[in-house]
Amino acid sequence: MIATIVDTTALLETIVAAFVAGLGVMFTFSLAILGVSGSIEANRNGQRLQAAFYVALAVLGTLATIAAITLGLIIMVG
Amino acid sequence: MTEADLILYIVVATALVFDFTNGFHDTANVVATSISTRAMSPRLAVVYAAVLNFAGAFISLEVAATVADAVVDASAITPTVVFAGLTGAISWNLLTWYFGLPSSSSHALIGGVVGAAFAAAGAGAVHGDGVLSKVMIPAVVAPVLAFVVGALAIVICYRMLGRQRPGPVTRGFRFGQIISGGMLALAHGTNDAQKTMGIIALALIAHGSLEQGADPPVWVIVSAATAIALGTYTGGWRIIRTMGTRIIKMDAAQGFSAQGAGAAVIMASSHFGFPLSTTHVISGGVMGAGAGKRLSAVRWGVAGNILAAWLLTLPAAAAIGAVTYGVAHLFGDGAAGPAVIAAVGIALYFVTIVQRARKGQPVPG
Repeated sequence: MIATIVDTTALLETIVAAFVAGLGVMFTFSLAILGVSGSIEANRNGQRLQAAFYVALAVLGTLATIAAITLGLIIMVG
Repeated sequence: MTEADLILYIVVATALVFDFTNGFHDTANVVATSISTRAMSPRLAVVYAAVLNFAGAFISLEVAATVADAVVDASAITPTVVFAGLTGAISWNLLTWYFGLPSSSSHALIGGVVGAAFAAAGAGAVHGDGVLSKVMIPAVVAPVLAFVVGALAIVICYRMLGRQRPGPVTRGFRFGQIISGGMLALAHGTNDAQKTMGIIALALIAHGSLEQGADPPVWVIVSAATAIALGTYTGGWRIIRTMGTRIIKMDAAQGFSAQGAGAAVIMASSHFGFPLSTTHVISGGVMGAGAGKRLSAVRWGVAGNILAAWLLTLPAAAAIGAVTYGVAHLFGDGAAGPAVIAAVGIALYFVTIVQRARKGQPVPG
């Protein structure tokens, strides 16, 4: 009875969207911070190759975060 | 100007006052986390939240459609019913504010309109399935969802960054909070301003100025956006004065996690037309971010208050909405009833605010 009244699809999509957005942005932003923090540490220790890897990680995390937020806003506006 | 026009003007003004107080009360929820972690100065945080509240109101109209169509039968509604519903919501908010009880403006608004519609046109005017599926179930699911997302997000963060130096991590999340705080303000504007748009749309349909199922006119969207943004801006200055005593202490990562979880849940819900209590969702996110770090950090008393608000607000606001409709109806079907009640309401509101301010008591969110 309840299942027929409740818009289960919309509710489930809300739950999935909240998980993907909330956890996804935290993951990508943490990746960016890990990259920045790691590159500082690697540079301090003179590890050039590791520093470059961490810089790439920071760039990837930042771009992924921006993309996720932009995608979320586009979906909202659409 | 006809009598119907006069009632419509009173309803629109009352709805915008409700929207203003909604922004005023909710500023703390939107900006407190950013300020407490020093991600932003209080002045900047308040202005930023007000601007994004305004912008958020233009993002979607799904929630407005739910309020205007899915909760009550618009064809059975008169402007007096909408007025009585609004009065029920505002009265319940003021009552709970005076006694320091938790309340959700959103649930009060829906409850007030449902109660007034029931009193005016009977059970047939209320879409019980809409109330259950669009309001009551999301009201339970959303704060729990924000809690779980906030808790899992902070666990992910600590697992990924636990071994890093705290300096860069804290600075990074403080910067991140500028984004997450902005998204939260945007989400808040989206969901909360739309409830007022829906109510005004309902009044316009009852007045015969808007087709049932049509989107609210641009002036409704702009005025609702402006009212909530002004409320947020005005409420912020009181928050700044009371900072340091009422805020929750958390680190920048927890702030980012709580705001991100809150924004994600509110935005996803707004997209599907669920009118939520943004206060409950943000509280859920904050408690989740606390629980993810340490379970004892959760303020279970706050959780209990939210539960009490869930159980009380809808029926209480509905009862007040029904009684208000009855009182307005005593003056006939014209503008006299709403005009008298509005005048008494405005007088009581200002007396209460002055009394409260003299005692130095805070205005609850």
